Amino acid sequence: MAENQEQLEQNKKERPMSLLLKTVITGFVGGVFWSLIGYLAYFFHFSEISPNMILIPWVAGDWKYGKLGNYIAILLIGLLSILVALIYYAALRRIKGMWAGILYGVAWWLLVFYVLNPLFPNLETVSHLQRNTIITTLCLYILYGVFIGYSISFETEEMNRQTQSTSTPSTSSNK
Amino acid sequence: MPTKTNNIPIFEKLVDNEKFFREKIGIGTSFDLGVRKVHVLNREVHIYYCNGLCDTQYLMELLKQIVRINDNERQTERAKQIIENRLVHQQVSPVTNLDEAVDKLLSGLIVILIEGESTGFVVDVRSYPGRQPEEPDTEKVVRGARDGYVENIIVNTALTRRRIRDERLRFEILQVGERSKTDVCIAYIKDVADPGLVELVKQELQQMSVDGLTMGDKTIEEFLVKQGYNPYPLVRYTERPDVAATHLLEGHVLIMVDTSPSVIITPTTFFHHVQHAEEYRQSPAVGTFVRWVRFLGILTSLFLLPLWVLFVLEPSLLPDSWAFIGPNKHTNIPVFIQVLLADFGIEFLRMAAIHTPTPLSTAMGLIAAVLIGEIAIEVGLFVPEVILYVSVSAIGSFATPSYELSIANKISRLILVILVEMFKVPGLVIGTTVYLLWLAHIRSLNTPYLWPFIPFNPAAFMQIIVRRSVAGAKVRPSIVHPQNQRKQPS
Repeated sequence: MAENQEQLEQNKKERPMSLLLKTVITGFVGGVFWSLIGYLAYFFHFSEISPNMILIPWVAGDWKYGKLGNYIAILLIGLLSILVALIYYAALRRIKGMWAGILYGVAWWLLVFYVLNPLFPNLETVSHLQRNTIITTLCLYILYGVFIGYSISFETEEMNRQTQSTSTPSTSSNK
Repeated sequence: MPTKTNNIPIFEKLVDNEKFFREKIGIGTSFDLGVRKVHVLNREVHIYYCNGLCDTQYLMELLKQIVRINDNERQTERAKQIIENRLVHQQVSPVTNLDEAVDKLLSGLIVILIEGESTGFVVDVRSYPGRQPEEPDTEKVVRGARDGYVENIIVNTALTRRRIRDERLRFEILQVGERSKTDVCIAYIKDVADPGLVELVKQELQQMSVDGLTMGDKTIEEFLVKQGYNPYPLVRYTERPDVAATHLLEGHVLIMVDTSPSVIITPTTFFHHVQHAEEYRQSPAVGTFVRWVRFLGILTSLFLLPLWVLFVLEPSLLPDSWAFIGPNKHTNIPVFIQVLLADFGIEFLRMAAIHTPTPLSTAMGLIAAVLIGEIAIEVGLFVPEVILYVSVSAIGSFATPSYELSIANKISRLILVILVEMFKVPGLVIGTTVYLLWLAHIRSLNTPYLWPFIPFNPAAFMQIIVRRSVAGAKVRPSIVHPQNQRKQPS
């Protein structure tokens, strides 16, 4: 029985992931990971904003203020980040390096804190936020942008590399 | 190397050859070089040797055979063939120019020159002084092979070959160093390793222009990855043949340097430095557990101290339930200074421990731990908490499997502590962000340093988080660009 399972594990096919699937996973993991760090930053009062910010406008019930609300919000941010990653994939994936990612993160920060600000009733305008909050959130957005952007750019680069090298397979194997 | 175009052929007159050896390499001046002259079939035969590097037993056996020729053979005109035939050793090769002969002689081979012949023979009777393979101090495991690389490149390739009998395993040797002429070996598996990387490494090695590789692989590393003042290790070293073999099979390229017991693994990312052979000697679950604890230790060694200093400076940051953190007693000296003093104290201890003989180091540990720690608190120099947090992060450093990484982390930690003291929360947050971005931007041999975290690769990241079972880990890490993606042929 155990031996059979061992066999199964060994024979399991591992298909290489498509770039799009990688993008989706990267987006989700990036969203969850960095909003967890954001929650930690909130816990230690580095920032006044916790992940449940995105739940507050439209969820009724007091649970949204507690731990549960935050964890659900983190999952939700993960899902939304898939969208963020897909936008990067569609628009910017050909740009090499991580500068695009940094700027992408800054752009999202500007979008959320300036443009989308009215959507979040308990998010004060930037001029009213504490200095620490602004710095912490901006840094998190930059890391989040780099995480998503650089990953997608790098995978695109790798994908191109592979298609280039597999187009001439006979020469490399006959060496 | 390009200066050596003047190849002098071997003279037919032995006197000229001897004169050349006297002038060029100082036979007669240097005591470790010598020549033994014998007469065979009415001809003079010179045997040049380097006395510490060749095995006297073999040399005597060869001499016996050569001298015996006089008793058994009469055909004086065929002396060269007869002598070649009587050189009872498997590694005999002809040599026709003196520069080549000198190179061989100085690496411990013997050179045999015959009067009237322009071709000599070199016989490999090398026996280098060295130690037996033993378990490396820096990479111990509870179970597993106890052999380790030694200072002899031949033994090292043999230890590797014993683990991989694949006919596609390649050990390419070349000599680096204008004066030292050190043997450097590039090891890879031909149908797995990225040919571009092999080529790149070979080019870099050939372009190296240096007197000698006295510090072995470290010198090579500095030429290869051009690290500058970046404290983070850009290649991984290992002294374990099993670790080296594993990496060969994954498609890495290894560089072995004669006279050094550690081999270089390229390309390397940050996460290569946080793994340890021990994880693969335990069951996957235990290995994963060990690995997580180790990650925790590494994170602790980096962030615990800056965070604590921050909380001491701004207690309002702490959640109410955590309010007990921070010194209760009045402090005479600012906590920041205490932390620096304690951290440097541990650094003194670490440095001293490296070159203190074992009997003394026990006493040293006692003095450091009991006397200084206790008394510094009693005198009022340190708050007890400082000792606690500095010690915990020091232990975190010791839990880092790579010695190089633990010191680099220590430097980063000190910088973060200073930033926290200067700028409080923004110092820590911006410092950490810049630190991460800086690590992410480093590329070692075209490999992003923080791969597979930034840039993120889901499958590879799982391999880092979870120590997969060997049967389940089927794909070679994509970052080495293996020609053959899958581990087991199916």
